[in-house]
Amino acid sequence: MWRWWREVKDILAGPVRFWRASLLTRTVTVTALLSGVAVTVIGGYMSLTIQSSLFNSRLDQVVAESVRTSSQIQALFDNSVTPAGTIDVETANSSAQTAIRTNQSVPGAGGFAILRTPGQITPQTMTSTSTSGLDLDILTTRLRQAVVQAPEQLHQQSVALPVDGEEVPAVVVGSVIQVPTAGSYELYLIYDFSDVQSTLNLVQQTLVLGSILLVLVIALVTWLVVRLAIGPVKRAAQTAERFAQGFLEERLAVKGRDVIATLARSFNEMAQSIESQLVRLGKLSRLQQRFVSDVSHELRTPLTTIRLAADVLNERRGQLDAESARSLELLLTQIERFESMLTDLLEMSRYDAGAVNIDYEPVNVVEIVQDCLDQLAPLAEQKGSPLLLEVFGGYGDVEADPRRLRRIVLNFIGNAIDHGESRPIVTFVDSNEQAVAIAVRDWGVGMDEREVARVFDRFWRADPSRQRSTGGTGLGLAIAQEDALAHDGRIDVWSEPGLGTCFRVTLPRSIQSSVNDSPLPLPPETELVDTQGNLVDEVSREQVSPR
Amino acid sequence: MNPTILVVDDDLALAEMITIMLHGEEFETHHAEDGAQALEMLETVNPDVVLLDVMLPGMDGMDVCAQIRETSGVPIIMLTAKSDSADVVQGLENGADDYVIKPFNPKELVARIRARLRPSPESNEPQVTLIQIADVEIDVPGHEVRRQGVRINLTPLEFQLLLTLALKPQQVFSREVLLEQVWGYQYKADTRLVNVHVQRLRSKIELDPDNPVIVETIRGVGYRSGKAVTPPEATPSE
Repeated sequence: MWRWWREVKDILAGPVRFWRASLLTRTVTVTALLSGVAVTVIGGYMSLTIQSSLFNSRLDQVVAESVRTSSQIQALFDNSVTPAGTIDVETANSSAQTAIRTNQSVPGAGGFAILRTPGQITPQTMTSTSTSGLDLDILTTRLRQAVVQAPEQLHQQSVALPVDGEEVPAVVVGSVIQVPTAGSYELYLIYDFSDVQSTLNLVQQTLVLGSILLVLVIALVTWLVVRLAIGPVKRAAQTAERFAQGFLEERLAVKGRDVIATLARSFNEMAQSIESQLVRLGKLSRLQQRFVSDVSHELRTPLTTIRLAADVLNERRGQLDAESARSLELLLTQIERFESMLTDLLEMSRYDAGAVNIDYEPVNVVEIVQDCLDQLAPLAEQKGSPLLLEVFGGYGDVEADPRRLRRIVLNFIGNAIDHGESRPIVTFVDSNEQAVAIAVRDWGVGMDEREVARVFDRFWRADPSRQRSTGGTGLGLAIAQEDALAHDGRIDVWSEPGLGTCFRVTLPRSIQSSVNDSPLPLPPETELVDTQGNLVDEVSREQVSPR
Repeated sequence: MNPTILVVDDDLALAEMITIMLHGEEFETHHAEDGAQALEMLETVNPDVVLLDVMLPGMDGMDVCAQIRETSGVPIIMLTAKSDSADVVQGLENGADDYVIKPFNPKELVARIRARLRPSPESNEPQVTLIQIADVEIDVPGHEVRRQGVRINLTPLEFQLLLTLALKPQQVFSREVLLEQVWGYQYKADTRLVNVHVQRLRSKIELDPDNPVIVETIRGVGYRSGKAVTPPEATPSE
């Protein structure tokens, strides 16, 4: 049942979409349907009226003639009585028949029948006659009884008269005549109404044809009118769409003083104001980015001098007393931190300005991850976190910017070391046809939902009181995310307080392909570390320390 | 005699600090405050390496670089505050051999200066004297490149790049290997250095730089020289 419904829905989906999309189709269809209903009602009424008036006027004619014929025949029989009081009924009968035939002036007179009323005992009888070929079954018993019971009246009944194997509409008018000495006879005159029917058919055909034409004309007129009316609206819609796509210089042509012109004028005013606002904002934002970039550059020269000076002092550390030496050490580490902040700030401002070039080249993801692990191995060792690597795939080359990819991975691992609580850190690599993914999992403090939501915010720190060993600038993940986005990739986070955190980056394998599903689940399954974050015993030393 | 370094920088504090640092490394230094002075001093002090700041008052560092290149092949290391690709590439295209981004690690700067001062490794291959690739002759002891007897001006670095490729004709060198063998870097450096210098080299030695025959690109791998007409092993009969 449901499947059937779904199939119907599938079949209907195309037309339904078209129906929703086209205002013109909708208007024309609705107009045609409604006018079709109206025309049908009016046409039906007209047809019925014409039918009954045609029938009635014919019936009046028929009845009038019947009355005349009936009284004539009665007179004919009455006059056939000789002065002696006898009558040759058969002769009278045949002259009556001739009289009936000559009397039938109404078109389509179909015949007659003179039938003896049953149940009489009379001195003589006259032979019942009727038009040859007339099927007497059409004279129903009811009609004949009605005629006999009320002889002073005319009785009429519509019947279907068989003619040449077809039935045509006809009316039978019955009356009673008294044949002297032979008793009462019923006279039935049959009138063929088929010409009325054919007139009616013609009228109806004309009506139907006229109605269809009328509906078509209405539909055509509606189509023209709607087209005329929605043409400008359609143009306005297209212009608005292009405007929304960023073509801010799009405007509507203003013609005349009608409502469309008002719409066009208002639209143009709105567009003008939006454009100028955007230009102003763009200028402001460029100024600000420029400022950030200039500040970062201007700071570099004095920073270089400071660094060189500190370095020269560092060469002569042996000559310094303990406190001076410690001061120098602090100076050096803070200069380093300052430097990386400047670098990150500049990178961020470059992303904000959209002035980022991705230098794509074939890179081996596993090699890059290995390099990053090697680079951070001393720091990890110092913090007591074993670094593990699980490679499921990704041995082939992918197209990426190695500098940015390295930066993402270093950032993930650095964060994991900082927040890993000296538990193991596992880096996963896998790939599928479209994408390659790198995930870094720790079993450290983890974050709650609110913190996860803010993790890519600039200068945001999960816990400001925590000691940082990687000298993070607070821009690392923000930059990593921009790096991933610049590759048309993305970064996903999983984290649970107390269970740890997993960052996963998914990048397309090449510039052409796109990322749908990540090759790695989040967080990936591993057998190297148990759920409490302890190394599984079988893990050998080689797996623990990167080569 | 100690190698002489010409430091061109308008920031006096930084210039003085570089000077102090370089003295500590046993270099002799001279300081120029702007481009005009630098071009003048190039004649008088005849430096072994020029350290050139990109942002200079008056004549821009890029222009100074291009002007030095008109008369001299002296190794130039650019000091730049901008790590943007466009800036770096422009400097290299103007003839700089290498660049360092401020703030730089003093050891890195010294390493790069020393790499530029390093004697050329062709002394290790004394048996080769002349290599011909396509219609270009490389005269190894004379440090000259000629096409049909006409000398083509190459900087020492460009010559070194061409020679490294030509000594092993048809062998593909990755950018990393070239960085190590030509620039003398043991660590990972910017491979754009190689790209830009190959472009510069081609513009000088190739008849049609868009369809190179002397230095060919092997996509995704690196570069190689064209087939040697006179193999490096053969003794030339000049």
